[in-house]
Amino acid sequence: MSEANKTVQEKLTELSELVAWFQSPAFKLEDAVTKFKQSEALAEEIEKDLTKLKNDIKVVKKKFDSEE
Amino acid sequence: MENVQLSVSDFVALVNQTLEYAYPSVAVIGEVAEFRVSQGKWVSFKLKDAEAVIDCFMGIYQLRVPIENGMKIMVVAAPKLSPKWGKFSLNVRAVKPVGEGSIKKGFELLKAKLEAEGLFAPERKRPLPRVPSRVAVISSTESAGYADFCKIINERWGGMTVEVAHTQVQGDPAADQIIRAIKYFNNQETLPEVLVIVRGGGSAEDLMTFNDELLAREIAGSRIPTLVGVGHEVDHTLADMIADRRAATPTNAAEILVPDRREIIRAAHQQATSLGHQLIQAIDQYSERTKDQLDSAFRRIGEKLDATFEHLGVLRVAIAQLNPDNVLKRGYALMRGELRTGSDIEIETYQSYITAEVKNVRSK
Repeated sequence: MSEANKTVQEKLTELSELVAWFQSPAFKLEDAVTKFKQSEALAEEIEKDLTKLKNDIKVVKKKFDSEE
Repeated sequence: MENVQLSVSDFVALVNQTLEYAYPSVAVIGEVAEFRVSQGKWVSFKLKDAEAVIDCFMGIYQLRVPIENGMKIMVVAAPKLSPKWGKFSLNVRAVKPVGEGSIKKGFELLKAKLEAEGLFAPERKRPLPRVPSRVAVISSTESAGYADFCKIINERWGGMTVEVAHTQVQGDPAADQIIRAIKYFNNQETLPEVLVIVRGGGSAEDLMTFNDELLAREIAGSRIPTLVGVGHEVDHTLADMIADRRAATPTNAAEILVPDRREIIRAAHQQATSLGHQLIQAIDQYSERTKDQLDSAFRRIGEKLDATFEHLGVLRVAIAQLNPDNVLKRGYALMRGELRTGSDIEIETYQSYITAEVKNVRSK
């Protein structure tokens, strides 16, 4: 899935995974700069996504005043 | 009518027809006495005031708020004369406690009943998704509570599909409408992730809808996890007690339903920044470790050099001791040539070379 198609939730999960990687035995200084840049980009994207997202609120047409 | 002769059956039927025409539905307020439930199906009691009393009958399924003797209630009923017993009574369709004391009593009785069935047990409560994408809402779309709820969810979060079932949230039809709306959402092919029921503040009587037994049971039986925010902070209804999650108000329901996007954004940036700090820290640690390793390597080289020089000194001394000059210095001489009588030999001392003739050679 490309970055653009990911949901905010997926991006948040990815950011958490990056944070976890920094504290895990898998941490390697050689890769850390790239991962840090990824985390900064993700934080930016999350901000952008969350700022522009709107809710779709619709009232259902069905009436509930009697059994149908 | 005096000249018309009727059988008893016809007369009773005529009276009932007249009653049905004149009083199809009456609302009567009085105090409950001699309350009884027969065969688990039929409810009978007397409704009385200071000067009169009337018998009342109803099916137990119609009794949506428990009642007991002494409670003041209003019944919605049809008057009827029983052909079999010749007794005048009310066929009750609905019962509603009247007055603060009775409302409270009815609430306590039903609460105890549902509690005994374990419907409020914490282990029944299901967690709500942290960030739902599809939400069902039941409320009056004209109410202030609904407006507050929408305002807060839009401020806090986005990207959700919110389906709203508009129902009355007070008055007699409200409980049944809400029950139908719950069934509607529960019968959808793809269920919403959360079912939210909201209503703003009101009097105890206004909120009575949410103390209805059938509504409480419908909420308890919902396949969709429920969040109920009814009234103000201090109001407790059976609907919110039985829900998976209680909200104090509609605004609080919105706050429980979705996280605050501003907090999430702040937290995301904080996480990225903290990784930057961790990266700098890691680089510092690596530099420190490399410096220590270099120091240690230099130390080891120095030690090796010292040991080599020391060894060299010893060798020097040994070599010096083996130098023939030093032996000659001590008075010894070095002889070269053939050891044969009459031959010439060369003798080297520390300071001179001497040529001599061999006079005699004998074994030692």
